[in-house]
Amino acid sequence: MAQSGVKGPGKGPSGGGKGSSGGKGSSGGRSGASRQSVAAARRSSPGNNRTQLIIGGIAIVVIIVIIVIGVVLNRQQTATQAEGYGASTQSVATASADGVVTVTKPGSTPKATVDIYEDALCPACAELERQFGQQINQALDNGTLTANYHMVNFLNASSASGDYSTRAAGALLCVAQNSGSQPGVYMAFHSALFAPENQPEENGTSDLSNQQLADLAKSVGASDAAQTCISSGQNVQAAGTAATAFIATLNQITGGRAATPTVVKDGAPIQLNTDWLTNLVG
Amino acid sequence: MANTRTVSRRERIRDVIGLLARLILAAVFLISGALKALDARETLVAVRAYQLLPESLVGTVAAVLPYLELALGLLLLVGLATRLTAVLSALLLAAVIAGVISAAARGLSIDCGCFGGGGQVEAGPTAYTEEILRDGGLLILAVYLVIRPDTPLSVDRQAHRRTSHPA
Repeated sequence: MAQSGVKGPGKGPSGGGKGSSGGKGSSGGRSGASRQSVAAARRSSPGNNRTQLIIGGIAIVVIIVIIVIGVVLNRQQTATQAEGYGASTQSVATASADGVVTVTKPGSTPKATVDIYEDALCPACAELERQFGQQINQALDNGTLTANYHMVNFLNASSASGDYSTRAAGALLCVAQNSGSQPGVYMAFHSALFAPENQPEENGTSDLSNQQLADLAKSVGASDAAQTCISSGQNVQAAGTAATAFIATLNQITGGRAATPTVVKDGAPIQLNTDWLTNLVG
Repeated sequence: MANTRTVSRRERIRDVIGLLARLILAAVFLISGALKALDARETLVAVRAYQLLPESLVGTVAAVLPYLELALGLLLLVGLATRLTAVLSALLLAAVIAGVISAAARGLSIDCGCFGGGGQVEAGPTAYTEEILRDGGLLILAVYLVIRPDTPLSVDRQAHRRTSHPA
């Protein structure tokens, strides 16, 4: 492959360099004197230059091939699952007293129940939503999955307002409590929070105010009661309390290495590879 | 005639240093690349977390980076095209160091993502200085190999040995 680009003199026998490699022990001895002349020979013979070009060419090809294979693999691994399914239309949400929002299809017997720990400001969570959100919606609507959302808030300090994570968690509770029975509304609001156009940046200069959160809820069909709950910050304190407890649980489950997103099944975190949900709900 | 003993020992020391440099760099790149490759999503999040690249490039860089590291690691391991690989390694390391310094300067709170598993760090300090020092050390090794790429136990040396001797 590199042969075509070689510009050195195309010597026939590759054992060239007779002149310069002459001198002493070019028979490959490792003694000092011969070593020096061999080293000098390496640097100067024309056959050596050609070899270097070929070697360089091979190296470049290796790099390109590995990268191409890798990029293909990568696309597979990060591909959006159930792409095109869209929003959940049949799931309903219920908020428990301790702040867990359970999302399920009424009357269904799910194959799997998972606990999903997320922080509203967390980009990795947004990435999880991007890749698996539609598949989760599909599984919820098929009645094969029940999801318990636990919103944590350790990224508060990274938000412009200082408490965005808690307020967003509070907003989610508001929607669950007031519009939870409207099919798909909770999941629509949840997805909207993590959408790239809505999620604030970490250490950014701005995030969403309670009013903006309320407007976002309105845009996905939440009731007036839900909107008022959000804009007044009604559930912010409760969300904060709940988040603290969730973080403690998360630390327990992960041996002190709480991070988001974490998906927990039967008390243990799941490895979030490409097929985690496919394997769960088959 | 030159003191053959001295030349031999110096050459031998340089050979050992070179070999170590090659193998250490190879190990770091292979492990780092493998960890990133195994967790494509985290790598994507890590690259994004540096907030240096436009969103359109983040995906591509995150996809290519692990495999560039694996390729460089492999080439360094077998000692093929060492100078070229060392140059590419040095450029990559310099870019990473610049990225980490930039993140540190802006007060971003990210896991360095250098060994995979990047993204949000819960509370706790981000070890920027450690990362910069470590990558700086690796950069020095890479530069050494750029200057003296000829190392023992390498395909390079095998190939040149064949070329330097009459057939």
